[in-house]
Amino acid sequence: MGKLKNKTFFHSIKIDHNRCIGCVQCMRYCPTKAIRVKNSKAIINKELCIDCGECLRVCEQNAIVPITTSSADINKFKYIVALPSPVLFSQFGQNIMPDQILSALRAIGFDYVYDEAWMCEMTSMAIEKYLGENREQLPIISSTCPVVVRLIQKLFPSLCKLIIPIEPPREIAAKNLREQLSQKHDLKKKDIGIFHITPCSAKLVSINHPETMKYSHLDGALSIQEIYNEIMMILKKSTEPHLMDVQNRISGIGIGWAISGGEIRGLKSSLAVSVSGVHDTIRILEDVEAGKLKNIEYLECLICPDGCVGGPLTVENRFVAKSNALRLIKTFGGKKKVDENLFMNLYRRGFFSFEEEVKPKPFPALDRNRSKAIKKIQQIDRIFKKLPKIDCGLCGSPDCKTFAEDVVRNEAKMEKCIFKKKCERKK
Amino acid sequence: MSTVAVLSQTFNIKGGDFVNAGEPACKIRNILREIGINANVIRRVAIAAYEAEMNVVMYARQGEIRLKITPHKILLEIEDTGQGIEDITLAMQPGYSTATEEMREMGFGAGMGLPNIKKNSDIFNIHSTHGKGTRLKLTFKLNGKTKK
Repeated sequence: MGKLKNKTFFHSIKIDHNRCIGCVQCMRYCPTKAIRVKNSKAIINKELCIDCGECLRVCEQNAIVPITTSSADINKFKYIVALPSPVLFSQFGQNIMPDQILSALRAIGFDYVYDEAWMCEMTSMAIEKYLGENREQLPIISSTCPVVVRLIQKLFPSLCKLIIPIEPPREIAAKNLREQLSQKHDLKKKDIGIFHITPCSAKLVSINHPETMKYSHLDGALSIQEIYNEIMMILKKSTEPHLMDVQNRISGIGIGWAISGGEIRGLKSSLAVSVSGVHDTIRILEDVEAGKLKNIEYLECLICPDGCVGGPLTVENRFVAKSNALRLIKTFGGKKKVDENLFMNLYRRGFFSFEEEVKPKPFPALDRNRSKAIKKIQQIDRIFKKLPKIDCGLCGSPDCKTFAEDVVRNEAKMEKCIFKKKCERKK
Repeated sequence: MSTVAVLSQTFNIKGGDFVNAGEPACKIRNILREIGINANVIRRVAIAAYEAEMNVVMYARQGEIRLKITPHKILLEIEDTGQGIEDITLAMQPGYSTATEEMREMGFGAGMGLPNIKKNSDIFNIHSTHGKGTRLKLTFKLNGKTKK
């Protein structure tokens, strides 16, 4: 670490060193081995981090802090819009309906609220259409989870071209909204602030550093955790559902996007697979890279367990939330609420399409010079053989293999291994 | 003067072991990534290694993959002791397969293994003795013109 060349990676997670006690928990769980502990403090390697939030889940000191948009940044805008993820609807028990939650958001002070679920259904149709037209290379991989996109760029760069070039619902919804609201209320586009209410902080990465367009259509993101209490207070006060023009537009197919399998539920294809959780996602992408899954048409990968309801910045237990979402799907039905003609019109105009394709951003190699890199691999092997192989993490690297790599990369010193010292003293 | 860097590793494959199949291909992929090999080459090697490995698992008793990396090329040698291939020309035909009904039900044996391996490697060499075993020698070039 320390010698990072690419300084442009934005991250939605930071470590509060006043709270961090250097317990190595986050380091052990990090799926890309991006964390090291130095001088009893955890440090994230920005080049390796994919913002999955695994560290956030396991830290018992609350020392890992998600970055979301500050209220000062929100209040800079004249007209503020809330665009909640469908996950929000699953967070308040079984008797609270989406329109009540949307009304509560209005009461908090948002000038406008928009139900993304409708746009999710629209996106499902765009995916369906794309799958029907593009079958040369399979499986096509979902673009919804920004962490999966980054994981593919870094760990599976050859699969970048399999990512479906269709923006996720939150972006398309914001694009559409800004257009509509600026006309309706005679506002300048830059005066409208559209904020996603998100179950994870990774969305902030795709907002600040979008991979497939110049600028995100969203202006920021707030976490469900941050806004939960305020919504709860309003729901407590009035149990009367506010009458809003949303009830008839809320889509069961759309709400489904909150849970793993939701994206493919709306598809006609039976050859679609949904995977959730970071380790299972990595495993299936390995299979895709080895050419094992060519008979599958569409692959939905979501980095959080059970999909977005398992996001690290949610409040409700993910199993309960999943059950709530399933009940809502049943209530609102699987019938399409989107007008086919409107959809086709937008699709033909390329309204859903990426502006730019996803570019590979592979992890740094051991050495730029291939000969040196090969020699370094052999060196790593030699060092690894001498290590205790119990992956204790006391050296500050997540496991013995990575420690050997760190030594060869000149980022750790051999003496850091306390067992190594012992062995040598005995001799 | 320093000698040319060569990395050699051997992975064992057990015939009939579908459970652990794919592990060597995965390990090879990780090594190539650390060396900083181009993503497309990695994908081609991963596909070839996996297909070759599956052939050993399906048709042979025992085999091994030998990986050799030099600054200019990657060499994969897959050798097994097994039934061997009776007619190589026939085996190289896309769609031709001697897989059993059970294997096909599991999604294997589409008859694309060898053609796929050939398609993904720059130099493809096969030698088989019926009743004894098969040896594949695959070369992937790292410089100059390579397959896409």
